[in-house]
Amino acid sequence: MYMIETKNLTKKYGSFTAVNNINLHIQKGRIYGFLVPNGAGKSTTMKMLLGIAQPTAGSFHIGKKSYPGDRMEILKEIGSFIEAPAFYGSLSGEENLDILRSILGLPKQSVADVLELTGLAPYQKRAAKKYSLGMKQRLGLAGALLGMPPILILDEPTNGLDPAGIHEIRTLIRSLPQTYNCTILVSSHLLSEIELLADDIGILNRGRLLFEGTASQLKEKAHAAGFPTDSLEDTFLALIDADNKKRGGIKR
Amino acid sequence: MNFLCLIGAERKKLRRTHIFLLLLLPVVFLWIPGIIHADINFDRRGIPITPEKNFFIQGFMGMAWFMIPASLVICTILLIQTERSQRGMLKMLSLPVNMAVLNLTKFTMLLCLLAVQMVLSVGAYYLSALAASKLQHYNLLLEPLYVIRTTAQIYAGAVPVAAVFWMLAVWIRTPVLSAGIGLISIVPSVLIIQSKFFYLFPASYPFYLLMVAYGKAAKGIFHTTVKWLPLLPATILITLAALALSCLRFGASDRKG
Amino acid sequence: MIVLLEAKKLRHTGYFPAFLGGTALAAAIPPIHMSVRSDTFTAQPGDPFRILTDANWQLMTMLNLFLVICCTCMMYYTEFADNGAQKMETLPVTESRLFCAKLLLFLSCIAVMLLLETIVLALCGKYWFADYEMRLSALLKTCGFSFAAALPTVILMLLFASVCKNMWVSLGIGVLFMFTCSMFPKDSLFFSLCPFNSPYLTFAELADAETQRRFLSACAAESVLFLAVKLLMIKLRRCFS
Repeated sequence: MYMIETKNLTKKYGSFTAVNNINLHIQKGRIYGFLVPNGAGKSTTMKMLLGIAQPTAGSFHIGKKSYPGDRMEILKEIGSFIEAPAFYGSLSGEENLDILRSILGLPKQSVADVLELTGLAPYQKRAAKKYSLGMKQRLGLAGALLGMPPILILDEPTNGLDPAGIHEIRTLIRSLPQTYNCTILVSSHLLSEIELLADDIGILNRGRLLFEGTASQLKEKAHAAGFPTDSLEDTFLALIDADNKKRGGIKR
Repeated sequence: MNFLCLIGAERKKLRRTHIFLLLLLPVVFLWIPGIIHADINFDRRGIPITPEKNFFIQGFMGMAWFMIPASLVICTILLIQTERSQRGMLKMLSLPVNMAVLNLTKFTMLLCLLAVQMVLSVGAYYLSALAASKLQHYNLLLEPLYVIRTTAQIYAGAVPVAAVFWMLAVWIRTPVLSAGIGLISIVPSVLIIQSKFFYLFPASYPFYLLMVAYGKAAKGIFHTTVKWLPLLPATILITLAALALSCLRFGASDRKG
Repeated sequence: MIVLLEAKKLRHTGYFPAFLGGTALAAAIPPIHMSVRSDTFTAQPGDPFRILTDANWQLMTMLNLFLVICCTCMMYYTEFADNGAQKMETLPVTESRLFCAKLLLFLSCIAVMLLLETIVLALCGKYWFADYEMRLSALLKTCGFSFAAALPTVILMLLFASVCKNMWVSLGIGVLFMFTCSMFPKDSLFFSLCPFNSPYLTFAELADAETQRRFLSACAAESVLFLAVKLLMIKLRRCFS
């Protein structure tokens, strides 16, 4: 059963097509890893799923709800972290989360829980603008995890974290589907991250979905096409290169 | 790095900030109502002044009271924010540049921007006076020497204002607070020039000097001579003190970091 | 509840101290002006409250307008500075609701500000004018009128601040509007209806009840128009984003 399903989802800005007829199938209770080069349409896709950007064409369903009619209901069920940490600088970490908690109608305890989960509890009283990059990243994650929503959309969640922090957050994300029956759409430029995290992989290049499936399915397809299969990085780069050449694009 | 090199660098930093537009727009907005309502210059309401001088004084009144201080506030914020946003100041601190010299360079830049706006104002005055003259069938143009001399006096009066606003922008990290204080200080100028202690309030200097010009053009409105004592010593003292304080503080908070 | 959340967002931004400080500054103008020129004003014939408002309201309004411009910009600066606005877009709360909450909060601060300033004017009347009788109904009418006259300006300025992500653009637009509108003649009813000009008019200045009714209707219509423009912009931005 698909928790998130898109049908020919397209986004155009004037003559530029950022996302071109993509059909995503994200299964319930699994982690879907989005592997996307810079500027390929990852953030645009995620924004469309959140209703921040209006699709030019196509549609999508989240659970049994569809956009735009059920947008508010959809947002109640999604925790998100898009592009960069978003917060109110003059407020403390705790106060920032408390505002989100009030809007989502969650109990007061959920703020303390999520601060503990993301390791921000010792710094909860500090103004968010005084947080280091890693702490801001954790605050953004904490905002997404508030109330343990059934769907998480995380855009490069380990960006700016030290190796211990990366391991910590990766372990946390990995545990969520089992513990809370979450469905997670996570993107990263770190291929090793996706390899360790994702159950299913989607590869996007210049707005088009090149591949969707499990890591083993990707290896089979790559092998059949004559691409290297020693590591996910080699496979990914070969796939992108081939697509770019096919479309007369940039050679890596 | 010598002073001229620093000026060149500061000029480059202003590229794509649309500063020229920011200086031009207020000048345009200042003179358009003057052209539309040029007929009120003929209704002198018992004040013994010629329509052409009335047109000039009324237009420059808005400039001296409001536009110059407001433009200075905008320019100070722009100049200081080019360093503070995106941590440009940190980069400057890591270069062989004397902070006090950099501070004075930026202040010089501020004075240059003010000078540009004064030139634009004179140009706008002549264009407006020409347009209004055609509409009212009366020559509202004044001789250039008078206009340039009055404008130069107002510019000189604005230098201490620039120094104080610059000092506020350097000392107060929150730009909206320094902008707010600067803008609010504009308001009481009208009252303050009537008091004996106006020389203690730099924001009132340009308006005071214009009112003296008004007094010369229309007898009985205001003084006809500038009260150089204690204005001149106060002006020099305030300017030097403001510049010294800004030199002390420039880049200091990023150095503590 | 959303209004309380908006108030929470403004903590440690200096918004409330700025409002209080600005109100204190504007309220200080009448006593300072009177203490310096009491002989000039007490010798004038007519209603003492009218004399005081004629002498001080222009300057007080100018300060109030600066405060409106700076505080509306600060309100939206807190949203845009660290991407808080984008976080709000991913939550189950509409942008129109957030805008209305901000507007309600701002109008509450304006109401307090105008009430305090009116009270100070009345107290100056009581102190310096022997024959002045303070009447609550007159004070409330004056205050209410000033509030209604300020409505279009406040909504328009909040609209600018919500549209411009760069605070300096909205600040510049506000200052430019304020400056331009101050150049229009004050004795024309038409020009006095322009936002940034309407707050300068006082209840006592309008000759009769009919003119007052027309003026207030015009202010109400302007307010509804600017609000409708904002709500339309929200809808259109979502369609074209």
